[in-house]
Amino acid sequence: MAASTTAPTASTASSSPMAFFLQGETGRNTRGLLRLIILCTIAAAAVASRLFSVIRFESIIHEFDPWFNFRATKYLVNHGFYAFWDWFDDRTWHPLGRVTGGTLYPGLMVTSGSIYHLLRFLTLPVDIRNICVLLAPACSGLTAFASYLFTSEMSDSPSAGLLAAIFMGIAPGYISRSVAGSYDNEAIAIFLLVFTFYLWIKAVKVGSIMWGALTALFYGYMVSAWGGYVFITNLLPLHAFVLICMGRFSPRLYVSYTTWYALGTLASMQIPFVGFLPIRSSDHMAALGVFGLTQLVGAAEYLRSQLPSKQFQTVIRSAVLLIFVVAFGGLVLLTVSGVVAPWSGRFYSLWDTGYAKIHIPIIASVSEHQPTAWPAFFFDLNMLIWLFPAGVYMCFRKLKDEQVFIVIYAVLASYFAGVMVRLMLTLTPVVCVAAAMALSQILDTFLVASAPTENDADTKQANGTPAGANGSIADKLSSALPDTLRSTKSPLVGIYSYLSKSLITGAITSYLLLFVLHCTWVTSNAYSSPSVVLASRLPDGSQHIIDDYREAYYWLRQNTEPTAKVMSWWDYGYQIGGMADRPTLVDNNTWNNTHIATVGKAMSSREEVSYPIMKQHEVDYVLVVFGGLLGYSGDDINKFLWMVRIAEGIWPDEVKERDFFTQRGEYRVDDQATPTMRNSLMYKMSYYNYNSLFPAGQAMDRVRGSKLPADGPQLSTVEEAFTSENWIIRIYKVKDFDNLGRNHQDATAFEKGNKRKKTSAKRRGARVLRVD
Amino acid sequence: MRLLPALTALLLPLTALGAKKSPGDRFAEYDTKQRSASKAVTLDDRSYEALTTAPRDYSVAVLLTALEARFGCGLCNEFQPEWDLLAKQWTKGDKNGEGRLVFGTLDFLDGKATFQSMMLQTAPVLLLFHPTTGPNARADSTPVRFDFSNGPDRAEPIHAWLSRQLPHTSPPPFVRPINYVKIAVITTLGLGVVTFLSVAAPYILPIIQNRNLWAAVSLLAVLLFTSGHMFNHIRKVPYAGADGKGGMSYFAGGFQNQFGLETQIIAALYGVLSFATISLALKVPRMADARAQSIAVFVWGGVILVVYSFLLSIFRIKSGGYPFWLPPF
Repeated sequence: MAASTTAPTASTASSSPMAFFLQGETGRNTRGLLRLIILCTIAAAAVASRLFSVIRFESIIHEFDPWFNFRATKYLVNHGFYAFWDWFDDRTWHPLGRVTGGTLYPGLMVTSGSIYHLLRFLTLPVDIRNICVLLAPACSGLTAFASYLFTSEMSDSPSAGLLAAIFMGIAPGYISRSVAGSYDNEAIAIFLLVFTFYLWIKAVKVGSIMWGALTALFYGYMVSAWGGYVFITNLLPLHAFVLICMGRFSPRLYVSYTTWYALGTLASMQIPFVGFLPIRSSDHMAALGVFGLTQLVGAAEYLRSQLPSKQFQTVIRSAVLLIFVVAFGGLVLLTVSGVVAPWSGRFYSLWDTGYAKIHIPIIASVSEHQPTAWPAFFFDLNMLIWLFPAGVYMCFRKLKDEQVFIVIYAVLASYFAGVMVRLMLTLTPVVCVAAAMALSQILDTFLVASAPTENDADTKQANGTPAGANGSIADKLSSALPDTLRSTKSPLVGIYSYLSKSLITGAITSYLLLFVLHCTWVTSNAYSSPSVVLASRLPDGSQHIIDDYREAYYWLRQNTEPTAKVMSWWDYGYQIGGMADRPTLVDNNTWNNTHIATVGKAMSSREEVSYPIMKQHEVDYVLVVFGGLLGYSGDDINKFLWMVRIAEGIWPDEVKERDFFTQRGEYRVDDQATPTMRNSLMYKMSYYNYNSLFPAGQAMDRVRGSKLPADGPQLSTVEEAFTSENWIIRIYKVKDFDNLGRNHQDATAFEKGNKRKKTSAKRRGARVLRVD
Repeated sequence: MRLLPALTALLLPLTALGAKKSPGDRFAEYDTKQRSASKAVTLDDRSYEALTTAPRDYSVAVLLTALEARFGCGLCNEFQPEWDLLAKQWTKGDKNGEGRLVFGTLDFLDGKATFQSMMLQTAPVLLLFHPTTGPNARADSTPVRFDFSNGPDRAEPIHAWLSRQLPHTSPPPFVRPINYVKIAVITTLGLGVVTFLSVAAPYILPIIQNRNLWAAVSLLAVLLFTSGHMFNHIRKVPYAGADGKGGMSYFAGGFQNQFGLETQIIAALYGVLSFATISLALKVPRMADARAQSIAVFVWGGVILVVYSFLLSIFRIKSGGYPFWLPPF
């Protein structure tokens, strides 16, 4: 951090004894070298701050989705590119399977695959897992560099780019998705996002086909890497549209936009998962519409320059407007008639915020799709969050094409981040850029060694006033509302007193240091847990590793048939596929809502209902996550209501959310729990035999903080196969059909009776026998 | 349609026949009522009892509600027009009453005894009584209950639920009538706006093109969104909370919670900090007077320090264990 704050000092102070190195041609070289060193240091800091999890735990893939990406990467490396492209995966979504090659964004896997082969070519034998683990930190270094380039296009201050780079490097908002081991699409997507924006700004500024084509190239890469590419697909047309509305249409804009759109659309259509969406879905229609508009406006501008008649210009202008309106109406008609697909659910729920909750519970159920409360903004961005509006304001000072882009990006991204926690990721780059612009403005002002004199100011005042006033414009209204910002009307003077300078510089430096401390603290405490391995502190302060997930998955891998089907809630599908290598019914891909609802129904129904469902789907094992013993709150009982809700969406008469709440509307697991709750398969499997850990009647659930009923649940159709050390994972084996054709309840009762005959009265066993 | 009043008139003597009425008569009576009112029949304790007593060869859907303003049941008042619309469309589609379904509304004021006997704590509640005699009779005489757990409901899901519950009838499709008034209003408004814009364009254009205005709008939007306004909007959080001692609590406990007032305070703090930053960066170096400039630097620097420190202290309330702070808070 210190490196970047001293940068402006080095580059602006001209009266130091090292004048030779700081002036003229040598001075430029020195500054260039310093810049390079600083950028390398920033990249190193960005990478280093993401390594907490590797140092604390080990080189391991985190969370859920990364496990699928890791598995896909291994497939790519082992079977080659073409096999990967045509990959049909029969080990997920049993019995449906998944056309994996055509339903994923391959950018991430192909990137790591290429790195792997490159390193092999250079005779560096690196395990593919280590490449996957370290890809995200490596990309964050590149992101810092990309935001340096991006900001340098925005601001003429020499320090803004460097500040933006370090902010981007260590801002927790970005670290949250790019720590080592977080091998997810976002790992490379954010780099691509920022770099595409940089290329776009460059293209608009220069107006060259080369930069436009480069934008399209990186846009294509982005499309191959992350579904969030739709953000770019809509932001660039919006930028072009706003520029046209502002009367800033130029041949530069025409060249860059048409180049980007034509090549970028072709590039994006090469990804099987995207396919013909760019011309068939509403998400992409804005880009197409603006493409048409630029053609119209371009033609009109050309005609106008050729034909000077004023009436004719009016005709052209209204013709452009008319065609635009007609084309828009045609688009709406096509959407209504179904030729063009309507907005996709995920995207639509950003605008109509109540939509997902009612219609697509599976989207609403994901925790990262929840709205963002303010502490999350402050947690992820700290002081950048209040420098951000100041930076946006400064964009208005000199409102050129690129500043307009920042303003649009800022407003849109803050809206999206407010609606969905996950989209904090797209907000972070613009916050870093805007904050860097604001802060560099302050530093550039207060770090100038030479002070102005009062005479200077007077002459400037005298020269500046006529330039600032718009006396020539006749319209009174527009003179009352000047085109410049109010705060920059008077001419620039400078800071007189050294005390003010040192005061503000000192304050800013300490804020920056505080920011570094904050980022380190947040990264270390909140974002560096792999969530596959949990850590806790023992009373003596030493670290205790809770490794139940891997224990259970390896048990599955070693003790079950390779074709044994495992049923679990969809959250664990990727992990079971990645770590245990067993076929699953549903996973985090969530492409088939009905199939997920089927699992939800099996989990939330009575055993008699669930057993046929499980048998029909050839389920061999059922896996549940239970945190009651350890106080691990992310367990299945807490997620249970979502299973119920999703199942209710398909079978409203068989599964009812209301039945899981008590009369008073409480969600309970103790004595007061509703019969439906206590008879559900999920409840039984979670608490089966749990009492045996405690003295009679003392069983406690530490997550819900409630005492459990004295008699634990009884299971008849499944039997306990494995329970991990801390009871986090419990695996049950689904019993086969009874040999005598009885149902399992009777069989269990029969066996119970037989056993009890020794201890309890005779009549009991006899009665059971007679019933049979 | 002309036949309807005539039919009603014909049926009227039947209703007057006396207390001992067969189930078929009762159905005819209430069916006529709901047809003539073209909405759900308004019931009271007595008629509710009469309508739902055991031998019946028809189904009854009763909405138990509390419409009076003093009960403050927003859900009831929102749902009532939808309910009446559903009743109207259903009876209209089922001209001959083949579905044998009566729609009723029992307001709390008219049906206190019923509410008490069922020990209802909440409203609205929708009960569906299946027939006890006749071809579609159910052995279980207790009514089926529909829960309004997902917030305000519209007529369509209720229609779907009723159709599922009454599979023997062929339920008439629910068609929402075209709202001509709304269309007219929107057209008029749209034309009005276009006219207004074309007339007032010369006056409005300089305002729209003004940079300060756009700057203000953008900054307000950014401040609003980054201070968690969308969370308030989606989760419908309360404006402020009580601290349990009769006072007000401005800040909700916990990282995932917030009050409406709280976000406004935060937005104001962010605004002050941004404004101070802008002043330091843009205004202060443009001050010609050296003395005034130093004072401004001190003031704005002080404002940033104090407000930022206050912001950190608020954040420490929200997130326990946050270790950083700044003087003076």
